[in-house]
Amino acid sequence: MKRMMTAIGALLLAGTAAAQQGDALLDMGWDEIVETARGGEVNVFMWGGADNINAYVSDYIGGILEEEYDIALNRVPLSDTAEAVNIVLGEVEAGATTGAVDMIWINGENFRTMKQGDLAWCGYVDKLPNAELVNFDNPAIANDFGTPVEGCEVPWSRVQFAFAHDTARTSEPPRSISELLAWVEANPGRFTYPAPPDFTGAAFVRHVFTHVAGGPDALIGPFDQAKFDAVAEETWEILNGIEPHLWREGVTYPTSITQLQQMFANQEVDLFFTYDPAEVGTAVVNGIFPETARSYGLSDGTLANTNYMVIPVNAANKAAAMVTQNLLLSAEAQLEKAQPEVWGAATVIEPDRAPDEVQAGFAALERHPSVVSIEELGQAALPELQADWTSAIEDGWIRNVGN
Amino acid sequence: MSPRLRILLGLALIAALVAPLLPLALWSVARGWFFPQILPANWTIEPWMQAFAPRSEIPGALATTTLIALAAAALALALGIPAGRALGLYRFRGKALVELALLAPVIVPGIAVGLGIHGVFLRLGLTNSVPGVVLVHLVPTLPYVIFVMSGVFANYDAEAEAQARSLGARPLQVLWHVMLPAIAPGIVVAGLFAFLVSWSQYILTLTIGGGRVVTLPLLLYAQAGAGRNDQAGVLAMLSLGPGLVILALVARQLTGRGMAIGGTR
Amino acid sequence: MIGRGHPWLSLAPALGVIAVLFGGGLALGLAGSFGMGRGGASLEAWIAVLSEGRVWRSLGLSLWIAFASTALSCVIGLGAALLLRRRFPGQGLARLLFQINLTIPHAVGALGILWLLSQSGFVARLSAGAGLIDGPAGFPALTQDRFAIGIIAHYVWKEVPFIGLILLANMQSLGDDPESAARSLGASPFAAMRLVLLPLLMPALIRAGAIVFAFSFGAWEVPVLLGQSAPTALPVLAWQRFTDPDLAARPEAMALAMLIALVSAVLIRAAFAGRNR
Repeated sequence: MKRMMTAIGALLLAGTAAAQQGDALLDMGWDEIVETARGGEVNVFMWGGADNINAYVSDYIGGILEEEYDIALNRVPLSDTAEAVNIVLGEVEAGATTGAVDMIWINGENFRTMKQGDLAWCGYVDKLPNAELVNFDNPAIANDFGTPVEGCEVPWSRVQFAFAHDTARTSEPPRSISELLAWVEANPGRFTYPAPPDFTGAAFVRHVFTHVAGGPDALIGPFDQAKFDAVAEETWEILNGIEPHLWREGVTYPTSITQLQQMFANQEVDLFFTYDPAEVGTAVVNGIFPETARSYGLSDGTLANTNYMVIPVNAANKAAAMVTQNLLLSAEAQLEKAQPEVWGAATVIEPDRAPDEVQAGFAALERHPSVVSIEELGQAALPELQADWTSAIEDGWIRNVGN
Repeated sequence: MSPRLRILLGLALIAALVAPLLPLALWSVARGWFFPQILPANWTIEPWMQAFAPRSEIPGALATTTLIALAAAALALALGIPAGRALGLYRFRGKALVELALLAPVIVPGIAVGLGIHGVFLRLGLTNSVPGVVLVHLVPTLPYVIFVMSGVFANYDAEAEAQARSLGARPLQVLWHVMLPAIAPGIVVAGLFAFLVSWSQYILTLTIGGGRVVTLPLLLYAQAGAGRNDQAGVLAMLSLGPGLVILALVARQLTGRGMAIGGTR
Repeated sequence: MIGRGHPWLSLAPALGVIAVLFGGGLALGLAGSFGMGRGGASLEAWIAVLSEGRVWRSLGLSLWIAFASTALSCVIGLGAALLLRRRFPGQGLARLLFQINLTIPHAVGALGILWLLSQSGFVARLSAGAGLIDGPAGFPALTQDRFAIGIIAHYVWKEVPFIGLILLANMQSLGDDPESAARSLGASPFAAMRLVLLPLLMPALIRAGAIVFAFSFGAWEVPVLLGQSAPTALPVLAWQRFTDPDLAARPEAMALAMLIALVSAVLIRAAFAGRNR
């Protein structure tokens, strides 16, 4: 903790100068901000592994930005969001006030790093006209993995963890964590999960942890060492216990969710899981998964969270970034994103706050047969634990199970 | 060794070296290729169409990567040939230390130096630009050039230079007519390595280029990391392209029989 | 060899670039491992890193990978160069194809090796087609295995052309004279090659071997794709700490990176010292 505090202190000093620029924008009205941004550019750093998402941002959003605002959108693909955070960190530490990064697609621990390091630009969100479409009182939006957002980032999409199976191979997949644990013992070598610190693998471990604790209610709130130790002990016992029944007898785990994806498609394992159930549909369309793949939720619920767009404190094009974020929040853009052939991503706005045609559009959404219905999943949505729990669970797994 | 045995072993060697490229090539024209299919069940030209569609980033990235690699190779040769000559032909105190210093960029992993180099470039104002990326590519390419050239110079016959000078040749003439032809195969190999090392850089390009300089490796890592094997396959095939072109051009140099200088002693 | 001299003018530009860009970056990295720039210098990160069992296991794995890859690449690379230097039908084409995978980035090559050798990969599918195995589980684990077979296979595949090409260029410059002289004195072709050519090639081979060793020891792109989750290669460990959202892990990542650099430098220095005797 002490190390973290000294780190924050150093960054605070460096970040103050950069923040000065943004203050001028905070005094302007929206139209003035749009005029400031007109004719410029915006550099958006985001995970680039999905063509449909890339196309949505570059073509749809980028197209509107160019036509209506004369802003050029540069989408920078990343394989890991932490890369962008590192770039901003390096720049702020070196005292660079005009940074390469204008916007990052972010959530969770990466956001916490930015917020605590004063790397995120805050306080501008209520200037965005489309912010009124969002219910900021919703705790699932007001908190990013337990870290209060407090106007330091703008929500973009909701995701919920879901499992997937291949109906051609597994007609009756396990539909709860306890069923899964029993299924693993009955089907040796047919299941595994990516080793934390992989994002999705860590989420799976959190599901087991929550299951052992008897539900998320037992874990709500700030980190409690005693509670953690009690639940952790049993969790490691369970995860170590199923190891001999895992793929490769648990001697090694896949190191990324992409590996698990390939193993699932190639019949090395029979179950898959992801934070974005729409991905299963997209994967079938792209030939990554066989057509018989189906996603499904768990009866005792799965973790759901929101992902956001953050503007770094030293961004060179803050006005353009604000215009872009406003556009991303617009009812039409959120509806377009929810279309299954575009992305199928769940919206962060309240549909009843949107214009009538858009509301009708939301109501009429169809989905790819491989994708489980968002409403169905949403009925059993569990909130994410605060970041301290997440780190502790991750470290605990690495030390007790993954060695 | 009999010619027949040579051919056989040659074939085995080439087969082993080309084998891993096979799945990459096949994926670039497949729509789903799952176990136990030996060949893709569904063939498609779609990934290639997407790669060269109007809004695709790939053609631009191809051009950028080639430009940067050529510039980096040229610079690396300009700096590395004299250094290689110094190391190959002379003994001097502290030589081992100098060798280690020049080899250092290869020893130290990119991640360690990546952040520090980013700091240096930020202070020099060279980030987010193509020239900055070319400059930073010098760091991994220079050692390769130096060590190829120092090896070549170690076997170099300096006597020929002395003879030429004693016959009245001026230094520039000695350089052009005596030294360069003798070390030409080395220059070709060194330049090739420099080009290829620059061609496949990822971390340095990402940090120093700030994501604004888009090269093929950046696109490739993004696609491979997302499991888009078909797109990764296309990018892998494209990654071979310019390298193959240059290889074809210089292959004659390597197999050349015109390098008579090396033989006259 | 010209002999003694002070060719500093020739060395200055190259040394200058490396000193400023690389040396500066290294210095900043070293400072980072001591926690500087974050409020005060401390050995905290180093102590934490050196007292972790996981770090030593990773070090052992990385050393194994590097030694095995270097040894195999040198031997096979030498063999390949000897094979390709004489004329035979298809020599030109063979030389061309020999160099193809030099142009492939390591990440791509690693992907290729993965798709070739994994339990559901190309070779496994051929075996399934031939009825040798029932499913992926029946195929031996060549990737993500304890002996790092897949990783070593990748490095060998990638570096054999590298070493082979350097040796070919050197043999080109040397020409046939050294061996012809030995042959004219009555030595057999093999003895001529072994006793005359090989020693002349040694400096280049050792240098190339050092580069291969350093790379296979310090690279992370390959083990992250082809390696086990634990123990993992040392560079992967450093990379994980580096991209850890918890900023406090950064100094440890730097310390690990410096450790890699140190071990690598010491071993390579030893190899060169041996040669210069």
